[in-house]
Amino acid sequence: MTIPGDEMFNYSANRELESSAKVKALEALLIEKGVISSSSVDKILDYFETKMGPFNGAKLVAKAWKDAEFKSLLLKDCNAACEKLDMPTGMSGAEGEIMRVAENTSSVHNLIICTLCSCYPWPTLGLPPYWFKDPTFRARSAREPRVVLSEFGLDLNPEVEIRVWDSSGQIRWWVLPEQPSGTEHMTEEELASLITPESMMGVSKVVL
Amino acid sequence: MKLQHTLGGLQGLGPVDFQKKVFVEKWETRIFGIHTAMMALSTHLENSIPDYSMDEVPTTFKDIWTWADLRRGAESISPFAYFQFRYYEKWLGGITGFFLEKGYITQEELDLFITKYLKEGNMEELALPSKQEDAIDQQIIKYLEEGDSGRRETSSEPLFSEGQSVVVKDPDCSDHTRLPGYLRNKVGTIELVYPDSYAYFPGPSDHLQTPQVSYSVKFLPENIWGKEYSETGSVVYADLFECYLSNL
Repeated sequence: MTIPGDEMFNYSANRELESSAKVKALEALLIEKGVISSSSVDKILDYFETKMGPFNGAKLVAKAWKDAEFKSLLLKDCNAACEKLDMPTGMSGAEGEIMRVAENTSSVHNLIICTLCSCYPWPTLGLPPYWFKDPTFRARSAREPRVVLSEFGLDLNPEVEIRVWDSSGQIRWWVLPEQPSGTEHMTEEELASLITPESMMGVSKVVL
Repeated sequence: MKLQHTLGGLQGLGPVDFQKKVFVEKWETRIFGIHTAMMALSTHLENSIPDYSMDEVPTTFKDIWTWADLRRGAESISPFAYFQFRYYEKWLGGITGFFLEKGYITQEELDLFITKYLKEGNMEELALPSKQEDAIDQQIIKYLEEGDSGRRETSSEPLFSEGQSVVVKDPDCSDHTRLPGYLRNKVGTIELVYPDSYAYFPGPSDHLQTPQVSYSVKFLPENIWGKEYSETGSVVYADLFECYLSNL
């Protein structure tokens, strides 16, 4: 059967190998023709490994847990809060131009989704993991968030309200998770090491 | 409207694949990098708010490439193709198609290079061509650091106010939309009127060509799915451009 549009993605059975060769061929041609530089792709990948990743979000969360004034600024204006801390240049850069943070409490749990694609706050969380882009997650999280969270291993009390945020516009949303009890004595660095990307999108809690 | 425009709420799909990796195959990192470089070298950045001087960047790339172009490629294909391919496979197909269609590369060149890198069923350990151009990389990093904000000064008064009930329009769907299909014709409440207005990327995206006010709209699940088909104790918020909303 021929499917309209299918010809764009005409893969053989050996699809990973063919994709590897095709993307390398494409990159090589773009370098030869002066579209990109030979180190462009490496520079971009390095940027997300060393400068922009979930370690930035974790640092902001840990600071918010320790400093109530900072927390209220983070919830009011995430981009302004980023400027208050010693963060890398570019926290309001690509895919972080306008960020907002939703706060988890003992009675409200926030879940960030993007049913149309994969909108994700790059400066604070880096690049989206596969589960976030999974069509099944995008489909089910809009309608049955409690069941989906339970499958992720997060069983919420029935009294807890779940707020699902579909990132369909200009805002890149992420979550301020609850601080786990028993961590009050910890330093910001110690706290940051507990905070996962999943907890900052609302599919898990931060645990000790 | 196609299935990929109205994914929210599909039932009976089975468990989510809880894969925490960002890339599952090494080649995916390269197409991500190529796409991001294209966004950073897009000619439309000349008119963006950060001070980009695109004429001075020594790249041969002379087109507009934004998320809208990438999404348009993925959303315009048949859903029966869309769901056959993994996330970055769609990127690879769409981006390669763009460079072929615009004449930056030819199919013959591409096939020749693919043959060069594939030997007897394995990838050849050949290095990429070396053609360093620092000014291109500097523009890429500048784009990553300064972005391309759509926020503009308000040009019009918001049509809706906080607390007001609105109904989501059901406009004709072009190849790329920012209106999740499951919210069409549904009633919600304006939770927040975002300050200023927001421009979307250039190009034919449905009804988003002019900067406009944007809203956070709150939806009760019973108003989306019907009372007996809803999970209790949850609400859905979506960020919606003004052109998608009307008075109840």
